[in-house]
Amino acid sequence: MKLAHLWSFIVLFNASCLCRAQLSEYFDEKLVVKPLKDGKVASTLTFTTVLKNGTPRDPELLHTEDESQHYSLFPLALGQVLPEYGVTEMHLTLNAGKWNYDAWGQPVEAGVGTGAELWAWIGDGALARYASSSSSPPLAAQPSSNNKSSVDARWQGLRNALAGLFCSSLGSLDELRTTSPVEVFRPEGSLPSSSSHQLRHASHPSENVCTENLTPFIKLLPCKSSAGLASFLNPHKLFDANWHGMGVHVLWHEDEGVEVRLTFQTVSDPLRSSYVRKQDWSLESLFGAKVEKACRAARSSLIQVSLPRNTPYSLSPQPTLAENDEAVYDIQSAAAAVEKDKPINVAMNYLHEFQHESEPQSSLSTSGLGATTSLLSIQRTLKESSQSHGQLSVVLRNPSSTPVDAVYLETMPWIVQFYLHTLTVTINEVPQPSSSSVFSNLSYIPAIPHSRPTTFHVQLRIPPNSTLRLTMDVTKAFLRYTEHPPDAQRGWDLPPAIIYILDPDQHHRGIRMYTPTLLVDLATPDFSMPYNVIIFTCTLVAFIFGSVFNLLTRKFVVVSLTKLGTPVTKEKGGD
Amino acid sequence: MSNALSMYRTIKRLGIPDSNIILMLADDVSCNPRNKFPASVYGDAGRKLDLYGDNIEVDYRGYEVTVENFIRVLTGRHPPSLPRSKRLLTDANSNIFIYMTGHGGNELLKFQDNEEISAFDVADAFEQMWRGKRYNEIFFMADTCQANSMYSKLYSPNILATGSSLVGQNSYSYANDQDIGVAVIDSFTHYVLEFMEGVGKTGKQSMKDLFDTFDPIKINSTPGVRSDLFSRPLEETLITDFFGGVARVDVVDSESEESPSLSLEEDQVETVERNTTQDDSRTSTSRKHENRLPSTSTTGREDWKARAARTWGAVGVVLGLVGAVVVRSTS
Repeated sequence: MKLAHLWSFIVLFNASCLCRAQLSEYFDEKLVVKPLKDGKVASTLTFTTVLKNGTPRDPELLHTEDESQHYSLFPLALGQVLPEYGVTEMHLTLNAGKWNYDAWGQPVEAGVGTGAELWAWIGDGALARYASSSSSPPLAAQPSSNNKSSVDARWQGLRNALAGLFCSSLGSLDELRTTSPVEVFRPEGSLPSSSSHQLRHASHPSENVCTENLTPFIKLLPCKSSAGLASFLNPHKLFDANWHGMGVHVLWHEDEGVEVRLTFQTVSDPLRSSYVRKQDWSLESLFGAKVEKACRAARSSLIQVSLPRNTPYSLSPQPTLAENDEAVYDIQSAAAAVEKDKPINVAMNYLHEFQHESEPQSSLSTSGLGATTSLLSIQRTLKESSQSHGQLSVVLRNPSSTPVDAVYLETMPWIVQFYLHTLTVTINEVPQPSSSSVFSNLSYIPAIPHSRPTTFHVQLRIPPNSTLRLTMDVTKAFLRYTEHPPDAQRGWDLPPAIIYILDPDQHHRGIRMYTPTLLVDLATPDFSMPYNVIIFTCTLVAFIFGSVFNLLTRKFVVVSLTKLGTPVTKEKGGD
Repeated sequence: MSNALSMYRTIKRLGIPDSNIILMLADDVSCNPRNKFPASVYGDAGRKLDLYGDNIEVDYRGYEVTVENFIRVLTGRHPPSLPRSKRLLTDANSNIFIYMTGHGGNELLKFQDNEEISAFDVADAFEQMWRGKRYNEIFFMADTCQANSMYSKLYSPNILATGSSLVGQNSYSYANDQDIGVAVIDSFTHYVLEFMEGVGKTGKQSMKDLFDTFDPIKINSTPGVRSDLFSRPLEETLITDFFGGVARVDVVDSESEESPSLSLEEDQVETVERNTTQDDSRTSTSRKHENRLPSTSTTGREDWKARAARTWGAVGVVLGLVGAVVVRSTS
């Protein structure tokens, strides 16, 4: 009896030790599929790895040897790069296409700006002087020059390390594109209170996304692309989508540990490839693959499908769980046991052909397909009639019946500079005086040519059912000869402006929306001019020198001809 | 684009890992919105083989492909923040295969739209690599118009070079694809690849076999070979010396002293714990470094002594001669 007790105690003790060891890292994967009201399908793959009790590295200890890292699920590449530079929180997104908020609603992951966007909260080694609360942004301590340069140096190291890791040209996100907008890019996780942090944000709108960015992304996953939901990462289908974007987010939660969230969002168009105009989709048509093997390293593996409301449809196979609006498939549950000959292929088939919504776009109407509320309708244009100046115009339309408070953030490269005194704000075409409550809290960091971008930040209050238009004159720079890219006539891409909608109660985090990028046409010189100048100058010099030389060294004499026709020549030239 | 990608695919197939390959693509072709087949680049008119594939790593892309970055890669002069995947990281035991393709002219190759690299730049870069002991042998291949002029100015030892056309001659493309709308591969590269498809990881084909298959009539231009700087005979130089990365494992006794041979067998490797690193045309193992260092330091010291003795002896001889001359003249 006693022996049995002892034996069971030993077994239980070992089991609990093992369990504890296994709980130190866990990996979840999730796919969310949402049919949109214009016939497209938005899907978001999220792979989350959490390292329990992991902490970001104290920047004051950067010169000491770091502790050795042994991970089983946590990606080692990120686990080495981030402590190397003392980075607490990092978000990198690589997107291609324009996210259409009016038709597609809010994305699952907020970072949908076109091109590459990288922002990070980097500890600067100074002691935190102000306590940070969850609602207000953390105030960085007054950065001393040492801290600032150390943060800038580490920001450069981080950019280059990520550029090498993800095969993208993030190294060009240098000081020409880096700003520090702390109001809008608040940390999504917690920041350790042992040191204050500084924010660095940079964006490169003309970055291309292709298979070479996906390859290292896949290598960060425990099951790579052979099992579980990662088998949907098929570049031929993903990069065929109307919009696609991948994201790498590293955060620290004080009570949980370090979290790495890898996301891939796509908006695919089933109508494009269907012979009948039906919005039918299946996982195989969206991603080119079915789930044939479950990823054993995953703690949970779910597929969540948003169900349409107003149209008849059929969903196969039977979901594990179906609430009012969502159907959930649990890949790892015993009932849905995935085997090689029984792959899971979720498919939705519609009864009727697809028709666009006939009523005008209204955010709060039950437009049938999930809660795709569009809080604001945003539009940004750059009107340029000459090569030296233009006008930037931003239109925000609030379709709801409550006023919306939003922060408009513009991080414009120095090539387009604002004339701030020409800023005019109109509500429904009625100009607002500068004393009105419509815009407040204006902060402006002017650009330094060839060096720093503009940071323009203003808080706007848009009344219900009205349109706010913000216009400002801009001037375009004249670049130096060596600053032009090889295809200078294309123009320069301007990064998206960010509209940060504040939560009215200040309890929750705000929502970030991105405007599309702009293309600005700068004055380009005639690049063949150096060659022309050299040719002209050399010709001129040759003529002048030749003439002067001849005048100085040759003597011209008149030659007289005799009557018989034989010329009597005299010596030509000096003697 | 498919020229470089097909070479990339060949060397990956023959065993060289991505960490030992630097791929520079100046344009994003496969994910360009104008590409009818997204994330795919085809090298043949029937679209049978996707060269871009699912597993590609491009180290320099878009505006990063400049003459300056190319020469920095070769000579290794990088800012310290540059990541490892963008560095060449070769040493004196590495065989390097360099393939360049694009628009070219007499002694030049065009980069982007506003730059060009000249044959002199390439020759000087190779010389810097030789002086810095950054290569054992180089195989240089160029597929451009007038490509043979690109290797005409080389002067460093152990370089084997080949180009697709003579000076004054154009290189032509091989196949057009009607759906994609452009030519998909160039003639010289296509025929080189046709030969390479018959080479496996353990193939014994030699460089001479490759050069014998060059047919100016089929290729539409006259390829050239330059082997005067190359020390080994072409019949004995295997294709896999440059293209392949086959690891051969020699299990050695841990007690015995390593013979400090500066062996030029880049395929030889020593077991390092459980993972065998491949010593192929780009790197050498750290163990080899460790074992070599003590031996080179002792021989180095002896060499230094010998050299010092020689130098002083020479100085003494010169002084003696000067003294003899002075004495003679005064007497």
